[in-house]
Amino acid sequence: MVVRGLQAVSKAQNGVGAFILQCKRLEFNYCEMSGSSRGMKAFLKTRLATFAKDNPGVEIVVSPRPKKHPIIRGSYINNREKVVCVRNLEVLQVLQKAELLRDASGVKIKKINKPVQSLNDSVRGIWSPYHAKGEDVYKV
Amino acid sequence: MRRVSRSTWDSLTVPRRCVCGNPIRLNDLLSSSFSTSSSSSSSSSSSQSASLASPTRPSSIPTIRPLSKPRAIRPFSTTSSLAVVPKLLPTQSAKLAALHGRLGLPNKYPLTTLGRALIDPTAEPGHHLNNDGLSNVGNVLLGYYTSEYLMVHYPRLPYEILKAAMDGYIGGKALAAVGKEWGVEAAFAPGETVDPGLLQFNRVAPGTPLYKIQGGVGFNIPRKRNRMVPNFENNPSVDAALLAESPEMREARESQRPGQDATTLDLAMSNFVRATVAGVYLHSGGLPFTKQFVHAHILSRKLDIDKLFQFEQPTRELSRLCVREGFQQPIARLEKETGRYSRHPVFIVGVYSGEEKLGEGQGSSLPEAKIKAAISALKGWYLYSPVSGADLPSKTDGNPTMPFAPAVIDVGDIVS
Repeated sequence: MVVRGLQAVSKAQNGVGAFILQCKRLEFNYCEMSGSSRGMKAFLKTRLATFAKDNPGVEIVVSPRPKKHPIIRGSYINNREKVVCVRNLEVLQVLQKAELLRDASGVKIKKINKPVQSLNDSVRGIWSPYHAKGEDVYKV
Repeated sequence: MRRVSRSTWDSLTVPRRCVCGNPIRLNDLLSSSFSTSSSSSSSSSSSQSASLASPTRPSSIPTIRPLSKPRAIRPFSTTSSLAVVPKLLPTQSAKLAALHGRLGLPNKYPLTTLGRALIDPTAEPGHHLNNDGLSNVGNVLLGYYTSEYLMVHYPRLPYEILKAAMDGYIGGKALAAVGKEWGVEAAFAPGETVDPGLLQFNRVAPGTPLYKIQGGVGFNIPRKRNRMVPNFENNPSVDAALLAESPEMREARESQRPGQDATTLDLAMSNFVRATVAGVYLHSGGLPFTKQFVHAHILSRKLDIDKLFQFEQPTRELSRLCVREGFQQPIARLEKETGRYSRHPVFIVGVYSGEEKLGEGQGSSLPEAKIKAAISALKGWYLYSPVSGADLPSKTDGNPTMPFAPAVIDVGDIVS
């Protein structure tokens, strides 16, 4: 009778406790014949196994995509995808792109104006004219 | 069937079965990094996964085949039917291995257990194959760690608020959100050809009333004594909805026994999360690591306890509190005001017990400000949290001789 509880659902704060890598899948597509896939194929042969071992949380898929430029496609936990074309890139450049997709959050790119985003209330509180003292008192 | 040059594949040393039909999952190769230490567990769990894999299939399949071995049959070149695609063992699924890696589970946690946690009882009725038992164990563990955390941090929380907070952390909706944020995907329908890294459950047929789903939200109101329960059998709106459904929908709905053959995504997902916690307890270091896991994944989430309160008579409750605790009776005093006769008056009211200020409220009318002040005072009381911090009782789980600072034990709720 006295006090009742309201329903609420806890919100995620990724990284506060555990950190979940947002990239869940990387798909590497290449063409066997065309020259633009040369760096990509070399990456698959030399670098991919190490890359996959270093990132156990990412599902790695390799599949041919004949007669097309090579691409890397990242799938994210927020159900978005990010695709990067890696035509004519060298091995290390492909690795850079793969790391870029791995580290991305999958969120649509937008301008962030405020440096800090938080779910917590401001520690200092909101300024109130009724509680200000001295010269800070708001005068009408 | 397109022709693919072998050169790149051969250099990758990947299993050949994937060449044409399915894209190759490189984590298949790397699953050895997860499952090397679990060779004994995979043999012990081979009985669990016996129905997942065909019985003729050996439990340990080398994922890397010798390159020089000639391929005798290419089953994938004949047809695209799913039936010929070999079933993946849990240790062969890249999705499962990736989920394992994403959650940071230790190598001791076998992939077969994680795969089993993904199988809902509605997909596989065999209790030794689905996550039914695991999710029950996980539920107990989650309840243990969440309740002790809340009770030690907020020793004066009223019981109703404690329940609401528990629900906010480990209720079905919260755990379903956790599962989705872990990146778990659900299979469209359960089956033998489904990747073991997908959540498998039998979906509720469209048109099934929510109250027929076990543990469902909406109409599933727990029956209490002396409490009126809505009568769904003779409810005109429900009847109208049932009359409007097509014969196929009716057949699909009535073929399901409520709560046993079908479930919703949220319920299945929450059971998966519970089962994962149980797997941590069983395989990776028992209670201490489970506590760490629950604190990292569940209790680190944001839940505003102070937004869970709904007071009925806060001024009266505050008065009762002061009587019980032997404080002087609370008095509301107007501290500041502006624009009393304007459109936007603001009053600041403080509630005092003798000289002590208990709380303060702001409102556009005097009663509103007074009520808010009482609420502020009550929340200040209820949300008391020991500054020095007490130890959680589970601190002594592994070692009973650990130094232990007991928590505050409150008198209890205010009854008026």
